[in-house]
Amino acid sequence: MKKIILGISGGISFLFFLILLFIGGHLAKAQSSQQMAERWSDKKDVAQVSCFFSVNSKITQDQILEFEHSIDKALQDASVVQEAENPSARLWVDAYSADGKVTLSTDRGSVEADAIGIGGDFFLFHPQELLSGGYFSGNDLMQDYCVIDQDTAWQLFGSSDVAGMMVYIGEVPHIVTGVIQRPQGRLEEAAGLDGTLVYVSYQTLEELGTSNGINHYEIVMPSPITGFAYNYVKEQLGRSEKEVEVVENTSRYSLVSRLKLIPEFGTRSMNGKAIIYPYWENIARGYEDILAVITFFEALFLAYALILGLVFFGIWWKHKGWTLRDAWLRVKDKAERRMELSRARHKAKKGDTQELEFLELTAKPSRKKSGSGKRPFSRIGKSAKTGKSGRSGKPGKKEKAGKAEGGSGALDAADILDLEDLENAED
Amino acid sequence: MNENGNKKREWVKTAAIIFLSIMLVLTFFSNTIMNYSLPEVATQYVQPGTVTAKIRGGGTVESGDPYEVKVTETRKVSSVAVRVGDEVQKGDILFYLEDAESEELKAAQERLEEAQEALEDARENYQLALLTEALKESDIRDVSGGVSVSAYRRKITDLWNTIFAAEDEIEPLQKKEAELEAAINAYKTQESYESSLDTGASLRLPAAEKAKENALEALRAMETALDAATTHYNAIVDSVSAGDADKKAAEDALKKAKENHTNAVNAYNTAVTNYNNAVQEKNNRDASPIHANLNNGIAAFELELATVKKDLEAATAKKTEAQNELESLGVTIGTAKNFDDMLDAIAKAQKAVDKAQEEVDELTAKSIGATITADIAGTVTAINVTAGNNTSAAMPVAVLQPEGKGYTMSFSVTNEQAKRLSVGDRAELVNSWWYDDVEVVLESIKPDPQEPGKKKRLTFTVTGSVTAGQTLNVSVGQKSANYDLIVPNSAIREDSNGKFILIVESRQTPLGTRYTAARVDVQVLASDDNQSAISAGLSGYEYVITTSTKPVEAGKQVRLTDNN
Repeated sequence: MKKIILGISGGISFLFFLILLFIGGHLAKAQSSQQMAERWSDKKDVAQVSCFFSVNSKITQDQILEFEHSIDKALQDASVVQEAENPSARLWVDAYSADGKVTLSTDRGSVEADAIGIGGDFFLFHPQELLSGGYFSGNDLMQDYCVIDQDTAWQLFGSSDVAGMMVYIGEVPHIVTGVIQRPQGRLEEAAGLDGTLVYVSYQTLEELGTSNGINHYEIVMPSPITGFAYNYVKEQLGRSEKEVEVVENTSRYSLVSRLKLIPEFGTRSMNGKAIIYPYWENIARGYEDILAVITFFEALFLAYALILGLVFFGIWWKHKGWTLRDAWLRVKDKAERRMELSRARHKAKKGDTQELEFLELTAKPSRKKSGSGKRPFSRIGKSAKTGKSGRSGKPGKKEKAGKAEGGSGALDAADILDLEDLENAED
Repeated sequence: MNENGNKKREWVKTAAIIFLSIMLVLTFFSNTIMNYSLPEVATQYVQPGTVTAKIRGGGTVESGDPYEVKVTETRKVSSVAVRVGDEVQKGDILFYLEDAESEELKAAQERLEEAQEALEDARENYQLALLTEALKESDIRDVSGGVSVSAYRRKITDLWNTIFAAEDEIEPLQKKEAELEAAINAYKTQESYESSLDTGASLRLPAAEKAKENALEALRAMETALDAATTHYNAIVDSVSAGDADKKAAEDALKKAKENHTNAVNAYNTAVTNYNNAVQEKNNRDASPIHANLNNGIAAFELELATVKKDLEAATAKKTEAQNELESLGVTIGTAKNFDDMLDAIAKAQKAVDKAQEEVDELTAKSIGATITADIAGTVTAINVTAGNNTSAAMPVAVLQPEGKGYTMSFSVTNEQAKRLSVGDRAELVNSWWYDDVEVVLESIKPDPQEPGKKKRLTFTVTGSVTAGQTLNVSVGQKSANYDLIVPNSAIREDSNGKFILIVESRQTPLGTRYTAARVDVQVLASDDNQSAISAGLSGYEYVITTSTKPVEAGKQVRLTDNN
């Protein structure tokens, strides 16, 4: 009985492991802000790297421009060349952003909203659920665009189908290029998405809003060797360790990264840097924690199932009634027989069928014989089957069946456990 | 066993029924389920059209040639006579100022007092100097008439010339004097020598006479002796008695007497010669004119010397006089200069006083019942002070837009944006319905002085019914260009293989029409706010995916939104 319960628990544990594995994988996949590398290239040799700067680091657009100019040279040095046929193809894209506040107004009303001032191809990195319109890019000719969320759209226009409409930010007209559905949920709200949010160009935020300065930078670029992109960005934009946090997004949810998080339990919440994480990084970190827990349980369930499997295997191995040598001899014997048979067939083709007949005759009984005891692998299979179908009734019966079969020389692991139980009871 | 078999069959039956019913339900709802699981996409036609890239910007309308009304003193404004937008004529009153002493007037009065004191001091100094300095009247007159430096210089030069001339005169005279004195001395020496020679000759003559007389006497004695000897000898020779010895002795004596006689004759002859010589010499000396000559020469030299000495004295006196005059002139110049300086100081102080007085007068005139008037005709575009506040010299109190001059507006754009524009482009007003007759034309594109490398400053001329200070938002750009393939901006996607769009391909199946997304690589030729012109292998009129509810991958099935 115990054996069954243990067996079932092992199975369930393994099932849980599989379920958790699936959930973990799904959760990781769902983080679109972290999956830029996958979206960017089918090949595995690109990496997405994010930098988060502290408030004091005072990084400027010029510094980013300088860094961008250095990338091509670095890639050239690493022998990365453009292979795409489309002449407009780029090897890398990047984006930077700053957070702050802006006040938008229309004839209908005005809203003070949290704002993210973007530069570069921000929305390639952070695709949003669009209700209408599209995105804009920091590389566009004009920078007087904005993407607003549905709450803002409602307050300003009373509709969410407002792409192309005009809002005033600090007296300067801006065009709404799109309306997004702001992500909602427990984590999302805690991460900073609890109020109205608009995306404007970095220029607009700097000139017409209140800006905290550029505090996020992200890039997706070829990483011909592991860690190339991460190390390059860290070296070039690293500044002092205290002022920046560099994250390789591509591998942050990999199994290795997740396992590394488990020993950081407790210390991970501590932060000595004056860095304000943007909402997507907060969410990503939240999911990191969740995934760490999931991974921890995955490991537990897997370990339980594995240990149980190993114990069962060990017991079975101990009582298997044959040795590896037997198996080897048997395989050898079979191979010889095959060879003889083929030789005889060869001869039979030439007319001498006597030997073949003899061999075929002798082969049949020997197979039967092996079925009764000398074919260990098939035997195990059978015994397992009988164990399940036959022993669903009473324990006594099973015991007898085990004993009866035990007479033929092979005992099941479960049988042995049962026998031990019996002996204990007798004691 | 039989019971067991029945049970088993029951179980199989139940399972089969459940399975089949699930399958049935799934079949019924397959479309719904499929729809739920597939990403829903919104699409638009790829179609020909126009792309117009516009540059937008806004700025404040400013007067093209503003006239700033300024007041140079700090004054309190009692009232403002005009308002922004008023049209004023030249001379119209803009501000009334309070009758108050301005800071500037106070300062000017103080300056005047100081200048007056300085003038007083300068005059006192002059008077004091007049009393203390020992001055000739002519000096004072000279000084009063102004000291001419060149005159002084001329005077000094003349004096020095006199001195030099005197010195030039003195030098040869002194030389001559020395020469004459030397000559006189030489003559005098000669004279004394000649005199000594005369004395010698006079002394030698009596001596020679005496010697001649002595020689004559000796000769006579010798003649006598000879006669005696001859007599004696003759006597002896005649005397036979006289032996040889006596004869010999007589002979010797005779011989000696003869010798002595000859000697005496010779001596006498010599003495006569000497005497004759001495007489000759004496006669020669007595007859010689040398003394007269010498004395005449000396007399002549001494006469000349006297003249030279006189000349020398005169020249030296001239020199000394010039030197003295020079010395006294130095003193005069010093004094004159002192006085001149003092007079200058007085004149300067007087000038300062005059200037300060003028300033005070002017400010005094301004400070009572003063107004600020318009210097030109135009429109008031700004008033920077209000009644009760002070004006300041640094800030214009009002700004006028001169009549007939236009307005300008400017803002900065990036170099990239500026490339698309050219001077002369006509800009549209963003809220054009608010303005009916406003025209905005791009006048210049220049580097932005604040960020010269990165930005350009666009300046527009604005005409029409606008006023300075008004904010205008305009959009300016090239004319629209036609393209064959236009897609919305949101349809353009990008990955490492470049930009692409996803088009929807339909396929008929027994279960209905299936739509799949297909990738088409594109190149973006131009973009504006809403759409982009692309070049791609498209025939036109394909459906292009603009948005989707979930990420769409090429080759995967999608669902069209209901409104398509």
